[in-house]
Amino acid sequence: METNLIIEGFKFMGLGMGTVFLFLIVMIASMTIMSSVINKLFPEPHQNPDDTVAKKQDNKKVIAAITAAISHHRQG
Amino acid sequence: MIVKFFLLKLLAIFMVFSMNSLNASAMASAEAPSTHKEETYQSQSFTEMVGGFLRSTGVNAFLNPDPDELDSSGHKMSDFHKSWGRLLMIFITFFLFWLAIKKGFEPLLLLPIAFGGLLANIPVAGIAGEHGFLGVIYHMGLSNEMFPILIFMGVGAMTDFGPLLSNPKTALLGGAAQFGIFGTLVGAVALTQMGFVDFTLQQASAISIIGGADGPTSIFIASKLAPELLGAIAVASYSYMAMVPIIQPPIMKALTTDAERKIKMTTLRHVSRLEKLVFPIMVLSLAILVLPEATPLIGAFMFGNFLKESGVVERLNDTLQNSLINTVTIFLGLGVGSKLAADQFLVPETMFIMALGIVAFSVGTASGVLMAKVMNMFPGNKINPLIGSAGVSAVPMAARVSNKVGMEYDRTNMLLMHAMGPNVAGVIGSAVAAGVLISLFVK
Repeated sequence: METNLIIEGFKFMGLGMGTVFLFLIVMIASMTIMSSVINKLFPEPHQNPDDTVAKKQDNKKVIAAITAAISHHRQG
Repeated sequence: MIVKFFLLKLLAIFMVFSMNSLNASAMASAEAPSTHKEETYQSQSFTEMVGGFLRSTGVNAFLNPDPDELDSSGHKMSDFHKSWGRLLMIFITFFLFWLAIKKGFEPLLLLPIAFGGLLANIPVAGIAGEHGFLGVIYHMGLSNEMFPILIFMGVGAMTDFGPLLSNPKTALLGGAAQFGIFGTLVGAVALTQMGFVDFTLQQASAISIIGGADGPTSIFIASKLAPELLGAIAVASYSYMAMVPIIQPPIMKALTTDAERKIKMTTLRHVSRLEKLVFPIMVLSLAILVLPEATPLIGAFMFGNFLKESGVVERLNDTLQNSLINTVTIFLGLGVGSKLAADQFLVPETMFIMALGIVAFSVGTASGVLMAKVMNMFPGNKINPLIGSAGVSAVPMAARVSNKVGMEYDRTNMLLMHAMGPNVAGVIGSAVAAGVLISLFVK
């Protein structure tokens, strides 16, 4: 008996999309669980506040330099 | 006195001996060239020489093809494929050069593929034949699925799962885009049923994987399920990947409203190093449990990613991301190009494959966008549907397109990192889809 290829195609689609979504949903669930467990058990040490202050000051210096360069360029 | 006599005697012996050997070698050399002459070269008139040379030129091979010439798989070739077909293919490769150089369409792959195609269509030389260097490259890594796997390692080393880990539910968008694959599968078998073409289920599956927009996966599947269609499938897959910035935006704009395109997504949280390190192992374990057929692809992908995230093998990581993937890309391109030989490419199936490929790609894009709209009906943080289109793999091009379209409507809306989540999930999704298709046929 000749198989109806279109029905065959839809069967493939059902199985394929089902597996893809099943895989991704299980992946999402395990990702969420893993993240919460890791963040609870091994929290990453917070950044040293001194560092950020120093960086901000650096940024200010850079901004000042850029502003100076722009105004210089406009005048020149 | 005695000593002197002895020396003289010795000298005499030497002389006699050396004379003998000289004689012998002279005789040998006198014989050898004469036989050599007889075997390979016969004196002929100058007109005959010129005539013989002209018969070996390319011009003659194009105009009067050798009737006994066989293609790389040992079948007789038609006259069209040996003459005008080859010329036509050579002009097609020139067009591909133009696309790659002038238009910047994925030049890293398109140039090696196009040049491989040019070499494969040279008559007489048989470069793509079994003993030509393109044929050797093809058997070295394409017919046994080696190169796609190596590419996957490099892509893994280049991938950052951070955006996906910080917003896991966007992975569903990468799943929805796989509708492109299975929708096209139905389309291809429907065409067969209606009698337009004659694709087997294996061939239809190999063609439909173009919808995953993932070059290496397409090649992997094609060489497993339908090696005879590999050339057309690889070319379709890579050329549509290169055309992502042209194909996707109209579909994305047609399916979204202005308000949806301006949705701002919440900032991504910081992802710790340990999470990134555990993730590849976790996904691989899931693949082992659910779908071992997909583990060659997912395993290679996660191997590359694991080396990168481990942070202790910087040299290996660097090799995977640069030298290895570049080397393999050259070989992969040339090997795919060898399938652009006229007798394999200029067949009616190619046209259907190109047409089905673009349908696959568009359906994938559309279903990603629609999935994002469906997800917005549920409570929770809203998703900008523009990142749904990034669910087709094509890393990172599809994510860049989402970002670009988003910026057209709101200059301050940076979607790039948000779109990377569905983008890498799309790679996993197509690998899973590929695994399902293989598991259906390999019993």
